[in-house]
Amino acid sequence: MDKGLLAYLYIPLFTAVVIPFLPKSKPKLADLFANATLLAGLANLAWLCLRPSVIASGFISVPGNGLSLLLVGLIYLVALCVTFFSANYLPEAMPNRGAYYSLLMVSVAAMCGIVTTSDFFTLYVFIEVLAVTSFALITVDETLGGVEGALKYFLLTFPASALIMAGISILLLTLGSLSYESLRTAMSSGLPAGPVTFGVALMMLGFLIKSGVAPFHTWTPDAYQGAYAPVSAHLGGIVTKISGVYAVLKTATLMNFFDGRAQGLSSGIMFLGMLSIAVGALAALRQKDFKRMLAFSSISQVGYIVLAAGLGTPLAVIGAIFHLFNHATFKTVLFLNSASVERSAGTTDMTKLGGLEHSMPWTSWTSVIALLSTAGVPPLSGFWSKLLIILALWESGFKTYAVLALLFSIVTLAYFMMMQKKVFFGKKPAEAGAAPEVSPQLLAPAVLMSAIIVAAGLLFPYFYSYVRMAAERIIL
Amino acid sequence: MTSHNLLFMLAVLSAVWAVMARKLLTSAIMLALVSVFASLILFDFNAPWAAVFELSVCAGLITVLFIAGVSLVRAEAERNPEGRAVFQALPLALAIFAIAAWYYVPAFFAGVSDWKLMAAPGGTIGSALWDVRRPDLLGQIVMLAAGVFVIKSIFPKKRPAAAEERTTK
Amino acid sequence: MSAFSLDWYFITLLIFVGLYGMLVSRSIIRQLIGLEIVSKAAMLAVISAGALTSNLMLAQALIITMIVVEVVVVAAGLALLVKAHRLSGSADIWKLDSLKG
Repeated sequence: MDKGLLAYLYIPLFTAVVIPFLPKSKPKLADLFANATLLAGLANLAWLCLRPSVIASGFISVPGNGLSLLLVGLIYLVALCVTFFSANYLPEAMPNRGAYYSLLMVSVAAMCGIVTTSDFFTLYVFIEVLAVTSFALITVDETLGGVEGALKYFLLTFPASALIMAGISILLLTLGSLSYESLRTAMSSGLPAGPVTFGVALMMLGFLIKSGVAPFHTWTPDAYQGAYAPVSAHLGGIVTKISGVYAVLKTATLMNFFDGRAQGLSSGIMFLGMLSIAVGALAALRQKDFKRMLAFSSISQVGYIVLAAGLGTPLAVIGAIFHLFNHATFKTVLFLNSASVERSAGTTDMTKLGGLEHSMPWTSWTSVIALLSTAGVPPLSGFWSKLLIILALWESGFKTYAVLALLFSIVTLAYFMMMQKKVFFGKKPAEAGAAPEVSPQLLAPAVLMSAIIVAAGLLFPYFYSYVRMAAERIIL
Repeated sequence: MTSHNLLFMLAVLSAVWAVMARKLLTSAIMLALVSVFASLILFDFNAPWAAVFELSVCAGLITVLFIAGVSLVRAEAERNPEGRAVFQALPLALAIFAIAAWYYVPAFFAGVSDWKLMAAPGGTIGSALWDVRRPDLLGQIVMLAAGVFVIKSIFPKKRPAAAEERTTK
Repeated sequence: MSAFSLDWYFITLLIFVGLYGMLVSRSIIRQLIGLEIVSKAAMLAVISAGALTSNLMLAQALIITMIVVEVVVVAAGLALLVKAHRLSGSADIWKLDSLKG
């Protein structure tokens, strides 16, 4: 484990344990505690890596491998948006309010565990913790949709865990140890890589199921659509990215895909990545529900990261890390906005919505920023990450994949434009009621995240130097 | 046929029975039997600590949990029984799979076992758990905390009057 | 034929049985039972790998952690079952089909 970052795990866990002991007469205290914990963590992280002197020196002095630190920051950022949103969104008399915040905090702790560990079995344990907390979060409101989403999540994610475990036992057999380092050493030594690759392939399959890559994506739309509104932002923004995509990316960097060993596994992963880009984008085109469309878009965007991870060249890894970051920011904005729309207009069915632009200008314009970033329109951050991924594909000779990735990026723009037109622009249907703008507290997280999207796009050189430092540290 | 292979075979057979059983209660008990055989296999591998854990927790606690769950839904399950044909097809499917797998799987894993890397001998279960796998213990603690909060969130307290009753798992 | 490859043959069969049970059944309890069978198989895989490489202590430490994980997962799954039952009066997953698309 990365000892320096363990505090980011302990403190949310401590908060989670404290929350049930808060006085029952003041339910708002739980909100306050959760928000304060995450905010303090973020402030600490900002001090660590955003001081002018650190930025000027090219982030050399950042502790640990830069990727863990970046992801811990991302986890805290998304979780802070979600808790701040929840604090103003949850009904006053919610019976399990304390447990909801405790679960959120435990899931933050588990995600920090995932990104700081350097051992496959510990990774597995924390992924299980995350799965358990997230399906309880999906069903936190008392609706049948939540239970259904949670069940589908449950019944796909735990067989995937068994696959991961089978892979781990093969690694135990062939490596004698389960640390990341031993895998890296084995892959860079001259020995034939067959059995190790078999074990890693089993694990990889489990991680891919958990990240909702096609053809294992069937649980994703149901879980996201059925989940309680702020929870779908948490789930879509960060949880599946950390529990699945991060693990895929990390394992891919350990396998040294780019030097041509484990060629079959590498091209298999790239194929699945491309498949889910296509499946997600094409399915998103014909969705009627706002949240469900976002879920399919998420599948498609995850495909880009997996495609880059499967390629595994340094440039692709940089692109993948950057896209992971961007995906978390824009998907959080979009899911939080869908929650705002649900609160204000009472539905997320796009056939019943329309013309919200005038009554909800802030929600509308933050959505525009997020969706332009998703579709890769310059100078927003999503443009740079997609550019890096497509460049890396082109450079390594995967020209078909590069062209297809570019094409589906245009499809992304098409379905989001359709969504924007149906929900925010256009004419209001006669039967729709008044939909006033939600309160400023509910808007604040989306506005903050949109600001980060714009800033990450405009300050790309700084971001690039950080991500490059991180990629160099994890590849070498 | 060694007793070792016999135990594995019995585990597979009771798993088949657990999946096929008409009554949910039988399924739960057969699952406990799978656990018992798994535990005996662990003893046979000379892994007593894991075996004791398996026997007490999986064969004991998990079975109790399953029987509690079964008793809740039994009436409903008996009102709407599932089609039996797919379950009765299991022995056939398993036989086909077993015969097909016989030609590939053992040979494949014999190939894998050629690449084994022998570990350094020594160490106790205490040092393995506490020194080598300490992050896992942290993971276990987080897992147990998660379990408590999951139960707490799924069964919220309805009345404020019950607020002083401590939630137990 | 070595004992090890025969062990893994049976482990493969166990995984097949468990996944078959999960695929064909509609009842949440039966699916959980299938899941349990699969995770038993994974556990036996770990101990078999540990025994072959005389790494039993590490394998046992892993199994003890796995058992703790498994208990929480099963408890959570059954809690979910109770919740589904309370909300819909049914433990049949195909009757829950409010989400379409």
